[in-house]
Amino acid sequence: MDFAIFLVQLLNGVQYGLLLFLIASGLTLVFGVMGILNLAHGSMYMVGAYLAWYFTQHTDSFLLGALLSAAVALALGVVIEKTLICRLYKRNHLDQVLLTIGMIFVFNALQSLLWGNDSLGVDVPELLSGSIRLTELVEYPVYRLFVAVLCLVLAATLYLVINRTRLGMLIRAGESNREMVECLGVDINRLYTIVFGAGVMLAALAGVISAPIASIVPGMGEHVLITCFVVVVIGGMGSIKGAFVAALMVGIVDTFASVLFPGVSSMVVYILMAVILLIKPQGLFSN
Amino acid sequence: MFFTNKTEQLFVWLFFPLALLLPLFLEQNVFYVNKLTTVLIFAIFVMSLDYLVGRCGMITLGHSMFYGLGGYLFFMIAPEYEAVNFWVYTFYICVLAAAIALVVGVIVLRTSGIYMIMITLAIAQMCFYFFSDSIRFGGNDGLFILVKPDTSLFGLAFFDLDDPIHFYYFCLLSLFNCMAFWKLVLASRFGRIMDAVKNNPDRTTALGYNVFLFRLISYVMASALASYAGYLFALQYGYVNPSMMSWQTSGSALVMSILGGMGSIYGAILGTAVYEGLRYIFEHMTEHWLLPMGLMIIAMVMAFKSGIAGFIENLVERRK
Repeated sequence: MDFAIFLVQLLNGVQYGLLLFLIASGLTLVFGVMGILNLAHGSMYMVGAYLAWYFTQHTDSFLLGALLSAAVALALGVVIEKTLICRLYKRNHLDQVLLTIGMIFVFNALQSLLWGNDSLGVDVPELLSGSIRLTELVEYPVYRLFVAVLCLVLAATLYLVINRTRLGMLIRAGESNREMVECLGVDINRLYTIVFGAGVMLAALAGVISAPIASIVPGMGEHVLITCFVVVVIGGMGSIKGAFVAALMVGIVDTFASVLFPGVSSMVVYILMAVILLIKPQGLFSN
Repeated sequence: MFFTNKTEQLFVWLFFPLALLLPLFLEQNVFYVNKLTTVLIFAIFVMSLDYLVGRCGMITLGHSMFYGLGGYLFFMIAPEYEAVNFWVYTFYICVLAAAIALVVGVIVLRTSGIYMIMITLAIAQMCFYFFSDSIRFGGNDGLFILVKPDTSLFGLAFFDLDDPIHFYYFCLLSLFNCMAFWKLVLASRFGRIMDAVKNNPDRTTALGYNVFLFRLISYVMASALASYAGYLFALQYGYVNPSMMSWQTSGSALVMSILGGMGSIYGAILGTAVYEGLRYIFEHMTEHWLLPMGLMIIAMVMAFKSGIAGFIENLVERRK
């Protein structure tokens, strides 16, 4: 493989991995803090992408569309937590699986009802539509670099919030001992609402920023959900650090696999997962 | 011994005679006979999941993998242009599926709870992509069975696979046998120990039982029967495709099992019938049938905790 092509693929892999991290971090946080397995998390990614398309169409500005989509997603997350998820904390995983499968059905139906089943696309914003010349022959689109940088900024923000703020302290405390946090007088329900809302917003944001580079199609949520499961399982449930390392790993491996072994590329990440689980059944960074 | 409670007894005495008589009324209408046969076949699959999740406490979202494998294994081992013996190949497919389940089980059962949900799902997806990407197995379009197996046993032909009514009765018999099989397993010493494993694995280990082994045997049995159901489905339509393995198949089977009351075994039939019935109605009402279905599932989780069977059992118990 030519070095320039290698570099392009590596960049693609890192960018895909960072995007996966945005989605997987919400999944792993919601599980770590609240003990909820949200199968509808992928649907939030889909909702983000469709909202971005819808708002960009109506406002003619990708930035405005993105902000509006994020706000709507946050509201959606809070509403779902307040009406549905909040009744499931004392129930078993099976009920959670069932409820969130029901939510996937509803979101898929709403998507085809509101926006149809055709593949949609969002234009790359003009400011970011150029390319950077890597070597004489190879160019790299600016928007993809922008996505990578934005994801890194969001990841750093997440890290700072969790490790340096009072809210983050409560989140970490909630992860290690829920009852104790409640006993200390913290309104755990509000914490849950915040975490769930933030998780949904992160997944939707990932959908929003990938809208210009991926086609917006029905079923995009399920595909991403399952890849995120792989990420979370490899990284260790509930571990943000694990999700970050695993997301990059899966992103890079998946990108290179589709170049090197095009026939079986979609299986490679699952094989990676199976191998890691054989060595460490609880994932790389489990608590 | 056969029945654990009144509701179950009532259900079995109502369901099986009714199911035996039903084709007499539908003789003119092959479409409904086929539809009902599919429900019976899927109930076999849901029942194996019901045992695994409800009685062993192993929540899997990858059970559809074995359902799909039941169909695909036939293509792997059977010659393309030659009628093979149905009974021999049923045996082969169940044994092969059990062997695969043994390998997968060793990986999957190292984990439990939420991990197991995700890992079973991921492994099933891996299988799904393998078959939907592979040219040899027809990719997304799947494969057609060119020559259906021959059902003669010791030189006697009992039934004709191409006759919908014959196949309906064969599937009904299979369903009854599966139900009897699971009831026997549950009533046996093995079933009692499995109950203990589900309720408290640590104590069961302390009593000297190898919990992992019991789980593995249960996993292998359930997977083999799931493959059997998949094999029947492939024979009914003469066709397999990767969507049999999709996570939606596992998900809806789980919903059916919960609808019927998890772990009650007979509830699998009830749940499958209710789910498929509702789906049939919703599909006729709107092309967006997922919306009412999803809302119903959500309402069901919120409203009652142990499915329809639990609901009926409560009613029956209360009237005493």
